[in-house]
Amino acid sequence: MRPMSRRDLLRTAGLLGVSGMALSACDSPLATGIFGVGPGAHELAYWNLLGGGDGDRMVSMEKAYAKAHPDISLKSVTLSWGNPYYTKVSLATLGNQPPDVAIAHLTRATILAEAGLLEPLDKTELARFGFTEENFTKTAWQKAHTNGKLYAIPLDTHPFVMYYNTDICKKAGLLDSSGKLRNLDGPTGLVDAMKAVQRVTGGYGGVVAMTAETATPWRIFSSLYWQLGGTVLADQGRKIVLDEAKAERVLGYLASLTSKGKLMPNNIDYGAATTLFASGKAGFYFQGDWEISTFLTAKTPFSMTRLPNVFGGAYACQADSHSFVLPRSASRDAEKRAVIFGFVRSMLDQSATWAGGGHIPAWVPFQKSEAYAKMSPQSDYAQVANSAHYDDDAWYSGSGSDFEYIAGSAIGAVLSGQLTPAAAVPQIVAKLTKYANTPSPL
Amino acid sequence: MATSTTSRTPAVATPARTKPAARRQIVDAKARWFNGFCVSVLVVFAVIWALPLVWAAVTSLRPEGEIAVNPAAWWSGSWTFDAYAKVLGTGDIQNWYLNSFVAAAVTAILAVVVCSMAGFALSQTKFRGRRWLFALIGAGLVIPPQVLIVPLFNEFNTLHLLNTYWALILQALPAPPIAVFVFAAFFRGIPAELAESAHVDGASWFRIYQGIYMPLTRPAVSAVFIFQFVWSWNNFLWPLLVMTNTRMMTLPVGLSQVSSAYGIHYAQIMASAVLGALPLLLVFVIFQRRIVEGVATTGFK
Amino acid sequence: MVVHTISGAAPGRRTEHRAGWGLVAPFLVIYLLFLVVPTLYGFVMSFFNGALVKSGLGSFAGVSNYLEALTSADFWSSTWHTLLFTIMTTPPLVIVALALAILTDRMRHGRWFFRLVFFAPYVVPVASVALIWTWLYTPKIGLWESWLGAVGISAPNWLGDPNWAMASVALTTVWWTLGFNFVLYLAGLQEIPRELYEASAVDGASPWSQLWNITIPMLRRTTVLVLLLQAIASLKVFDQIYLMTEGGPNFATRPIIGYIYDIGFTDFRTGYAAAISTLYFVLILTVSVIWLLVNRRQLREV
Repeated sequence: MRPMSRRDLLRTAGLLGVSGMALSACDSPLATGIFGVGPGAHELAYWNLLGGGDGDRMVSMEKAYAKAHPDISLKSVTLSWGNPYYTKVSLATLGNQPPDVAIAHLTRATILAEAGLLEPLDKTELARFGFTEENFTKTAWQKAHTNGKLYAIPLDTHPFVMYYNTDICKKAGLLDSSGKLRNLDGPTGLVDAMKAVQRVTGGYGGVVAMTAETATPWRIFSSLYWQLGGTVLADQGRKIVLDEAKAERVLGYLASLTSKGKLMPNNIDYGAATTLFASGKAGFYFQGDWEISTFLTAKTPFSMTRLPNVFGGAYACQADSHSFVLPRSASRDAEKRAVIFGFVRSMLDQSATWAGGGHIPAWVPFQKSEAYAKMSPQSDYAQVANSAHYDDDAWYSGSGSDFEYIAGSAIGAVLSGQLTPAAAVPQIVAKLTKYANTPSPL
Repeated sequence: MATSTTSRTPAVATPARTKPAARRQIVDAKARWFNGFCVSVLVVFAVIWALPLVWAAVTSLRPEGEIAVNPAAWWSGSWTFDAYAKVLGTGDIQNWYLNSFVAAAVTAILAVVVCSMAGFALSQTKFRGRRWLFALIGAGLVIPPQVLIVPLFNEFNTLHLLNTYWALILQALPAPPIAVFVFAAFFRGIPAELAESAHVDGASWFRIYQGIYMPLTRPAVSAVFIFQFVWSWNNFLWPLLVMTNTRMMTLPVGLSQVSSAYGIHYAQIMASAVLGALPLLLVFVIFQRRIVEGVATTGFK
Repeated sequence: MVVHTISGAAPGRRTEHRAGWGLVAPFLVIYLLFLVVPTLYGFVMSFFNGALVKSGLGSFAGVSNYLEALTSADFWSSTWHTLLFTIMTTPPLVIVALALAILTDRMRHGRWFFRLVFFAPYVVPVASVALIWTWLYTPKIGLWESWLGAVGISAPNWLGDPNWAMASVALTTVWWTLGFNFVLYLAGLQEIPRELYEASAVDGASPWSQLWNITIPMLRRTTVLVLLLQAIASLKVFDQIYLMTEGGPNFATRPIIGYIYDIGFTDFRTGYAAAISTLYFVLILTVSVIWLLVNRRQLREV
């Protein structure tokens, strides 16, 4: 009998605890869970996919907002980057309880908009918050449109750029009188520069990640390929128009830097590539602008500039933009939208904090400010925002998509010398054709 | 399935193994050495098995700065509950506890009620179409619920039940319908005379089910309840799909989806892992025997 | 008494009929709505080009979804990953669980302790398991790497190396779910009559021969059950892989459920995802039938 009474005691204690928990959680999800009621108007649910340094900066911007708006309870949620994030946003929208506002890459916002998961934005309404065309980077503003309607408010542009070690480049005689890197445009500019750097470091001229990495190879390839005037996808992804000659030329050039030329390592992953540059063992580093914090922390003597125009066509560099989108919701009224746009405005007003992480702010009032002009190396490459080239439109394209994965893995194999350029191109075409032939599910 | 109910109390099993006659015969040097060897192997494995959880707990109690300097240390100069305070301070995890608890409890209670009624009807009443129904429900045993995520999501979406507890409860009840068969097997073990004499006394079928059969099936009730609860509490894929509002997430989904917000704060990540593991571990420690019997009697997961 | 039952027989049949249906009705309704209907609906969906973000079935696709799946390298590789996971986890989950159960059963004291230690991980939610093991596996600072480093072995990049990722996930799974089989074996051991051991001990049998001649044969019923449950659990693997590797690196660990998830909920192609689900269901059915045929003799014996 004794163990029974002890167990009864435990059971009672457990029940008391549980009911206490249920009672104390006055803001509890019970009502939502049983009756499907959404949260109140005073709450602002915001989702993003920003990790690392970006995440830290975003949190401090959110804190500033929360301090200025004590009446609004901001619920910010960070979810894992890439496909899982967009899956989550889609499912939440389908489930009728999306966040009030979410970050999306512009390349992905297009897809979400096509799928009918985003609310189109009313330009007259936006104008009241200062969100007008002339206040945003032109390319980003254009990309924020899908089928003629605006769906996103751009926060930044993050292009693929070239980092260079100022100490090494100075010793190699690559800097001009003002301490900036000389123009390396042209077919031999970069190669010669790397050779000069190699004489200084005794190791590598530059470094780019390609092992266990697909996005970086795609970004460096596409930047150069677009400079040649090439296109990969046409007709919303229903056609593959990869120009084999141009693609092979770019791949051959990249291989001449890595596997063939040994100017760059041909077996290095993202982390190791970053470390190599941070520790001064390579003069150049190719990546998106977001690694700036890493090198500032590591006290690497570095600066950044645009990727050289190797082939002499119209300048282009691969880029994407973070933007604010409003997932479709039946329960969002003008009052709520005002809160949301107020929040977005607050984020844009804090562009200085955001630019600290390397991204080029899309908010023109800040871009033109003196404060930004003083930010170095950030403002040194700001002009490339206008030459930003987004991935071609398709339901399977965009940042972190299947498209980037397919192209990036073949290009990565060329960079590491496992695949010849001539073999890589048909592989890309064959795999993408399967997607092109699949009717768009949007 | 119902055979091992007799071994419920360890008292039945223990006297047999300590029979002095058998013991004395094997106690020689060789046997002692062999016993020692067995014990050491077992202890080594026990240490390996305990290690991940213990290490998670240790890490969660160390200051972040110390972990950054020496991540693999087992001791801390200054133990702290900071990480727990931070994780609990966001307020999300309390919601997730509540969601998991409500969904798991309602699922488990409904499973016991609904499945025992069905099990009783199928095993004790001879209604027309019984065999046909038995086969239909039996066929459900081979349908893994994972196969159904796509049509089920569409269905719950159409019914506007996403982000409600009903999405979790209604999906979990019939998939798979093992509980019905567990109950049916138990009811078959109950002497039919009991029901017959109750009939004579004018009791209705429902009264017989509720007043006679259910009280006699407590091992099955607790086994089904515990397993449906644990299974529901730990279910992942389906809640991941249907509970997308962060306030509505269950514990496993919330922990896995939102943890990236902690960045690389290892103590906080481990604290959230420990907080996630704690409720069922406590329940398990308290009801260890019940749960282990549950596994043994029903053998399903 | 006898008179009573006979006189109550005719209306009794009818009430019994009604009571039967009445009692089974609540379950039956839920069962039909949320298991039978989606099963049939999923089958229908697989013949259409449905999309998650559009209502309705979409345009008729015939068998093209099936043709696409059967000719898709991704479908076959993810199927293989599920089988590979099964192959990697089943032997240790059966053999180690059996060995530990036998050792624990020998203990005179502290059996509850070992039961606790080995079974405890089983009740830990997958999210916690993934968080803890990802931390254990973290390159440079994880516990495994620092321990292997201490004895001079350079650790692999557990979850980052395509050749190691599946093995690492399998290792985690063995730790996580072994307790369940362990407890089943422990229960099986309790049912072996002690007299068998006593009699063989009198005949001078060594513990080793007792193991082979008594314990393992007597546990055959349990082993059959363990193997069946193991196969079912392994074929539906998704959670820990999704959380620890997201199916990567380079899709090297994406299981079939992961493929269905990606196609249906990331690419929104519900028709194609339904076709893969149907194929996967057929696979499971085939495995079950083969298993049943192979074990028919054994099943009849036990």
